[in-house]
Amino acid sequence: MTRIVVWYGQLISRPQLYRRGLLLVCSGFAWLTLFLAVPLAILLVIAFASRSAYGEVEWTFTLENFRRMLGFGALGWSSNTLRILLRSAWVGFVTTLISLLLAYPLAFFIAARPPRTRYLGLTLVIIPFCTNLVIRSYAWMLLLSPELPFAQLAQWLGLVPHFGALYPSAAAVYIGMVSTALPFTVLPIYTNVERLDWSIVEAARDLYASPWRVFFQAVLPQTLPGLSVAIILTFVPAMGMFVIPDLLGGAKYWLVGNLIQQQFGASRDWPFGAALSFGLMLLTFVGIFLLRRWRAEGELV
Amino acid sequence: MRRATATALAAALLAALVGCSRPSSEQGKVLNVYMWSEYIDPQIPEDFESQTGIKVRVDVYESTEDMMAKLQHGGAGQYDMVVVSDHAVPVLAKLGLLEPLDMGRIPNAANVDPRFKSPGYDPDNKYSLPYQWGTVGLMYRKDRIPEFDPSWAVLFAPDKQAGPFVLIDSMRDMLGVALKYLGHSANSVSLEEIRRAGELVLAAKKSPQAVGFEGGVGGKNKVLSKAAALAIVYNGDALRAIEEDDQIAFVVPKEGSIVWVDAMVVTKGAANPGAAHQFINFILDPGIGGQLSNFNQYATPNLAAMPFIDEAARNDPAVYPPAEVFSKLEYLEDVGDATKLYDEIWTGVKSQ
Amino acid sequence: MRRLHPTVSFAALGTLALLYLPLLAVVVFSVNASRHGFVWRGFTLGWYAKLLQDEYVLELTRNTLVLAFVSTAIATVLGTLLALGMQRFPWPKPARFAMELVLQLPVVTPDIVFAAAMVVMFGLLRLAWSIFTPGLLTMIIGHVTFQTAFVALVVRGRLALLGPTLDEAGRDLYADRLFLFRTITLPLLLPGVVAGALLAFTLSLDDFVISFFTAGPTSTTLPIYIYASVRRGVSPEIHALSTLIVLVTVFLVLSVERATRYRKE
Repeated sequence: MTRIVVWYGQLISRPQLYRRGLLLVCSGFAWLTLFLAVPLAILLVIAFASRSAYGEVEWTFTLENFRRMLGFGALGWSSNTLRILLRSAWVGFVTTLISLLLAYPLAFFIAARPPRTRYLGLTLVIIPFCTNLVIRSYAWMLLLSPELPFAQLAQWLGLVPHFGALYPSAAAVYIGMVSTALPFTVLPIYTNVERLDWSIVEAARDLYASPWRVFFQAVLPQTLPGLSVAIILTFVPAMGMFVIPDLLGGAKYWLVGNLIQQQFGASRDWPFGAALSFGLMLLTFVGIFLLRRWRAEGELV
Repeated sequence: MRRATATALAAALLAALVGCSRPSSEQGKVLNVYMWSEYIDPQIPEDFESQTGIKVRVDVYESTEDMMAKLQHGGAGQYDMVVVSDHAVPVLAKLGLLEPLDMGRIPNAANVDPRFKSPGYDPDNKYSLPYQWGTVGLMYRKDRIPEFDPSWAVLFAPDKQAGPFVLIDSMRDMLGVALKYLGHSANSVSLEEIRRAGELVLAAKKSPQAVGFEGGVGGKNKVLSKAAALAIVYNGDALRAIEEDDQIAFVVPKEGSIVWVDAMVVTKGAANPGAAHQFINFILDPGIGGQLSNFNQYATPNLAAMPFIDEAARNDPAVYPPAEVFSKLEYLEDVGDATKLYDEIWTGVKSQ
Repeated sequence: MRRLHPTVSFAALGTLALLYLPLLAVVVFSVNASRHGFVWRGFTLGWYAKLLQDEYVLELTRNTLVLAFVSTAIATVLGTLLALGMQRFPWPKPARFAMELVLQLPVVTPDIVFAAAMVVMFGLLRLAWSIFTPGLLTMIIGHVTFQTAFVALVVRGRLALLGPTLDEAGRDLYADRLFLFRTITLPLLLPGVVAGALLAFTLSLDDFVISFFTAGPTSTTLPIYIYASVRRGVSPEIHALSTLIVLVTVFLVLSVERATRYRKE
């Protein structure tokens, strides 16, 4: 017997309802499956293929690419690829940390403005996010070049050789990463900060808690949902970046994104690139998984 | 109502935009060329168009590896004529990406200097005809480095590094230079030699004076803008920079270097092979050959064009190296299976 | 309102400066009358003039705009349908989970893996049907795929806000589905759809990674061109071009703000 339900004010049978729903979603899902899920599956298959002498894909299946990823290349074992993967995770971590440190004051600052100015503040934060990544990166190249005051200060302090620029360097990459990630970090945290229950904060203050305790025990826990979103939105893209390490890190500071890009470009080694892609995806999932675990634990408390 | 008008407007705008982009896809009248950046006098394609009515689109690349990647994966049919390095010709031929040249349509092929006819990389000129030739060398600023022992050691020996330098982002050229410095052949297939060359380049890259890897043009621009004091470049890039700034000089280091020939090829599946042949013929015309070399400051393989070359360039050893320099120069060749070794070592150099 | 510790305000303003300093630098250098290097040599609008006369740049602009318009149109339709389908039907838990998963994929996958997967897939499709050579079509497909998820996200947010009450009220008054949709749901949904479309448009306009991997010789876009130029050595025309692009982006973002703000309260 078909169950009749009331849905959005309408009397209808479940199967009919599902059919209607299916009609709506099938186009979108067909597209996403065909052009996203399937390609990712194909990529996984290619990760097991090999590369001919001149860069074509040969369908001889092997675990060679994954071995290379773990370091076993033609020249014996090298920790190179693993180091890059770990460096990517590390850069993601540090970027997220710095972004969070900068995002909280900014979120509070905007929340403290009168309501009309708040929109302005948020828009100001969003605008750089919407600008082109390449433009922002090379803008940092401009700012860090030898003739400008920042580099000259560093030269004077002896941090860089005379006439040298502040890039390519690890520092430049971090600067670029943080300034790119900030909008993603600020917005989720802001949504929580805006709805902060100040009575708890006042209670903490009334109990003579130091400013640090007030923050960590009254404020931070309330922003946890936004915080976890912010971390995901910052950490995941940071690991897969290749434009910023490319332009600001030169060949001196490579992340896994650069390595992958090289395999699909100049090195013409798609199988190895595919294996690396899945290494990256794995790191991403591990990161998200850890985050969920941490958040779940936090909620229990 | 408002929505309907808005939708209609949007549709009209869209149609207009899409319609506008139609004319460029008229295949018969467009020639798609792919070559190194800053390599052709913009006047030449214009002259070709006014003579033949065929529009020339020039797309550029910065490294041989990038070009090969693009051609291998779908790009070949989209370009009609490509200018490639000598050692890439046999590789592209083996990959089935090249169309044999129809010499009947290129009478000017007779103008080519006998030295460059039927070269080792392409016997009987089956697939290619030479475009320009030149050398790899060091470009430097005299105002930063007045005293300069012309050796690759200024990059590779930490005690001899004299200023910020740019390495060249080309696998065979860069590793080849390192191999020459070590006293080996730039076409070595020995794992040990290639590995040592790679280690040398890696150490250079990691030194505080290294600015990074750039294509020839990129390196030239960095030295021009004073972001670097030295760069590995192709000789023509350096000579053009000298025109702009007389504080710049060029030298081929004493350990030797690489001499290269760039060749014009027609791709298999080209949309307009007829126009490609016509253009190749046009380039080999003596007057055009002279115009080309006078613009990009490279040496011409076109014997009939020599009278049209500026006298200063004809006598400049940087453009036409004398015999004793030439004896230390080596052509890059296809190293067959060893390519995979070079690739892996190059990846290691770039990524550590 | 609340008084903030001065360090907090200082840090906040410093962070804003960090975000805007680079853009400011680009604008400043776009009017600097010096070809190489960054010494200030006087104000000039010459680079903008040169830019507008550059036929190649104009062609690239056309490519970028066509790509953005077409992909946004497709993605908005797909995304809105998806949002409606997902939000307004009582799917059982496993189905809902699967759908959420597929929708999360574009967000969770790093750009480059996404692009790599596309390259590989187009490589295989090309063997079957040569229409898949790198070019406008492959770029559109790539863009639509990531835009759809964002559009769906925005529209779903809006739908959640609307809730079922209005529909139920309408039904109580004997309205039929089509009328309901046209007169009530759609107009209320429109700001969300428009916001989603504008967001998708901006994303397409500024996309680099996906475009870079799926572009062909005749379908280069402005971001790809800028990247290639940066690798060669930046010229002031690029600064001018970038400034213009930033201005357009600012305009678009402000439009989104107006579109969403208007009906929200």
